[in-house]
Amino acid sequence: MNHGKSGIAPGKVRGPVVAALLLSAACGLAPPRAAAVDLEAWRSPMPEQIPILLVQDATIWTSGPDGTLPAADLLIRNGKIAAVGVDLAIPAGAVIIDGRGKHLTPGIVDAHSHLGIAGGVNETGATITAEVRIEDVLNCEDPTIYRQLAGGVTAAQLLHGSANAIGGQSAVIKLRWGAPPDDLLFEGAPAAIKFALGENPKRTNRPDKERSHFPTTRAGIAQQIRERFVAAEAYRARWRRFRAGEGGQEPRRDLQLEALVEVLEGERRINAHSYRADEILMLLSLGDELGFSVAVLQHVLEGYKIAEEIAAHGTGASTFSDWWAYKFEVLDAIPYNAALMHERGVVVSLNSDSDELGRRLNLEAAKAVRYGGVEPEEALKMVTLNPAIHLGIEDRVGSLTVGKDGDFVLWSASPLSTQALCEETWIDGRRYFSRKEDLAARAAWAAERQALIAKIRALDEVLPNNGEATGGGAE
Amino acid sequence: MRRKPASTILSTVILVSALGSVIQPSVADEPARDVFLVGATIHPVSGPEIPGGTLHLSGSSIVAVGADLKVPADARTVDVAGKHIYPTFVHAGSVLGLTEVSAVASTVDASENGDLNPELRVEVAFHGDSRLLPVARAGGVLYAHVVPRGGILSGSSAVLRLEGWNWQDMLVRAPVGLHLRYPPVLAPRRSFGPRPPKTQTEVDEERKNKTEALKALFEDARAYGRAQDAGADPPPTRDPKLEALQPVLRGVLPLFVHAAEHQQIAEALDFVEALEVSRVVLVSGADAAEFADRLAEAGIPVILTGVLALPRRSWQVYDTAFTAPERLRAAGVKLAIADGGSSFEAAHSRNLPFHAAMAAAHGLPHRDALAAITLNAAEILGVADRLGSLEAGKEASFLITDGDVLEITTHIEAVWHLGSEVDRSSDRQWLLYQRYRQRPTGTPPGAPP
Repeated sequence: MNHGKSGIAPGKVRGPVVAALLLSAACGLAPPRAAAVDLEAWRSPMPEQIPILLVQDATIWTSGPDGTLPAADLLIRNGKIAAVGVDLAIPAGAVIIDGRGKHLTPGIVDAHSHLGIAGGVNETGATITAEVRIEDVLNCEDPTIYRQLAGGVTAAQLLHGSANAIGGQSAVIKLRWGAPPDDLLFEGAPAAIKFALGENPKRTNRPDKERSHFPTTRAGIAQQIRERFVAAEAYRARWRRFRAGEGGQEPRRDLQLEALVEVLEGERRINAHSYRADEILMLLSLGDELGFSVAVLQHVLEGYKIAEEIAAHGTGASTFSDWWAYKFEVLDAIPYNAALMHERGVVVSLNSDSDELGRRLNLEAAKAVRYGGVEPEEALKMVTLNPAIHLGIEDRVGSLTVGKDGDFVLWSASPLSTQALCEETWIDGRRYFSRKEDLAARAAWAAERQALIAKIRALDEVLPNNGEATGGGAE
Repeated sequence: MRRKPASTILSTVILVSALGSVIQPSVADEPARDVFLVGATIHPVSGPEIPGGTLHLSGSSIVAVGADLKVPADARTVDVAGKHIYPTFVHAGSVLGLTEVSAVASTVDASENGDLNPELRVEVAFHGDSRLLPVARAGGVLYAHVVPRGGILSGSSAVLRLEGWNWQDMLVRAPVGLHLRYPPVLAPRRSFGPRPPKTQTEVDEERKNKTEALKALFEDARAYGRAQDAGADPPPTRDPKLEALQPVLRGVLPLFVHAAEHQQIAEALDFVEALEVSRVVLVSGADAAEFADRLAEAGIPVILTGVLALPRRSWQVYDTAFTAPERLRAAGVKLAIADGGSSFEAAHSRNLPFHAAMAAAHGLPHRDALAAITLNAAEILGVADRLGSLEAGKEASFLITDGDVLEITTHIEAVWHLGSEVDRSSDRQWLLYQRYRQRPTGTPPGAPP
């Protein structure tokens, strides 16, 4: 990664940042100034990675075996967690953050997001679209990335919509604001794909009958998925025969079936949009029949009715905390869903599916405490460790465990409190969000904006058609 | 799982009644007898909190609230030591009762066709047994300002209790006021339908036509009122549209002006100023804070359509909507916090306190945040004589919690309404929870071998 190296914006004073860094590194006391913040990606340089970073005396929610440690320290070396514990020795050259009175958690992971997708969340041109890929349409300039950093989110799975029984290939990213698309991608994250069951792929909510298609029933959806996997199995067999030299022509590559073969091989994780118990049982048993497993049920609002079946399949559940009644198929959704599934052994995460909600997933976790009495530490795991497990990235993120990435959030109060403010968000030992710096930069942002507006107005006076010529732009 | 003994007992009782063959009405018909709730920290909202206070109820009303109330020896007392008591929430703008499943059009009565429907009365369409209501109640929302959403003049709104037998029984006040939805000023940047988005010229033209029609209607209504006042003989032919406008023209009821975007708010405020409407309430989002001084000076209260919202524009700071309530309050604007008022949000009205909580996290004093979903809302809606705070003479509608009601991790342990505890026998979510937590464990059929 080398994003932003040459992207220093006019007016950005880089000298003091570096000086402050050196100063704090030298004396081991001052809080770090890792980066200048900006509301636009293109002029947000990659924050410096602090070689040795020590947060002292914070309440640390590890989301790991150590539980929650009061007045504990977190040591990060070269972007990886080196130690978590009480009264850690201060290494020479460490940059120190005073965590007294603050809470520190792993970075929040959102297992269901649509941020940073440059249009086309749904490929509606066909009903099966296993070949399309989110990673081809990442929009690294989506301000949602910065806004969600301000809510403590450090990683997210970007999914296609739910228009297709078998949708497209999702992307897992880290919210490295300012990085070009390829550097957003979470290196090494397992491949995944979106499936969808029920009303959305039926498209029976669509009044436009002329655009109706197969399937319009849940039975049709089941049959469509079965048919495609049968085809994928045959495709795999053709390739196996060919590769084993058992004859036949080299099969013609089929990108759609290739993705499904990856599912059959266990190399691509199914994320199935689903609501009702019946359709979930259908997909799980279809997997048993055809030889695939379902990694994650997305939404899974009736999961509480069949929690044991889900757990027995080793399938994860990524749900909303309390959404219901917006469609007929979610009338039986209850806010106790997460608690009930958790009690019966399902790995549960709480997701946003929303640019707005994604900024306060810590408070969605609090709802698992409110509804069903999940223990606070377990509730927090529903937005940290558990979604990381769902995405297959739990060896890298999700808990504050030695060896994992230096992705963490500093809060002004318990992350489950409505009064908590996200103060700093760190990824790979780099500070990507600082509320303090954001607040400090606001006057300059406003002044710059006014200056630009004045310039445009001045142009308007000399160029009568200026507004049309420039095409308007941001509101 | 930590579970309070009290709530375990409560759950058991509810379970028994839920599984019994007779569905009990949610409010038990008990003989009128005074009740004293003793020992809780009482948050009246109208005044400072009272630690170790006593709440005295008689029938459906509050008799007294205080620290040193005398409790007669034979009185019915409820020990709520260590708990907190708050008034139930007043949702200042919702379609609760008008909607069931937002995606199923036939279950939604929120939005009528036609631009000018001032004569519509929303309370007659209120479905008292909507399954959304018990869920709202469990979340502490016992009153809602039910607001029509269609057209330019959408009709009149009503305040209803979310507990009762039918809309007439549940009605607190109707009409509360008329609702004007000012047309958008800016062209949409994209469309969600098959047609391309309207151009700015089309939007301007449409707005001009609609506001002119609106102005003409107001002029007609004024003339109609003058004819009525003058005792014209024969009297003017009855016209329900023009009649519906009279209370607003005469300053008896407020005109609720809905406008969300900056230029739309500016135009809407100018427009109603020109109409010479004396009582105006602005229903708006974070952009309203840009007009805080003007609103304060004009004495126009604001109902905020939610705090948990993204900035409208890419360049705005991330907490724009979170800080809007405090910016309004600091300028002296009377403020209620609601949500966006959509069908989706009606189902999620139990999150109302968390809108207020986010405002509190971003500067709005805690008590003002609480008032924004209780007393201020009641005052703006003209029902503060009966609800919105814990004061003598008001409806005995309150929540018993194990902590700060603005914290999500707090549990609402009991909801009292009109002097009785509300049970959850009609709360489908609660019943499903009870049913499925008792599903026997064991290897389920269908598990792989």
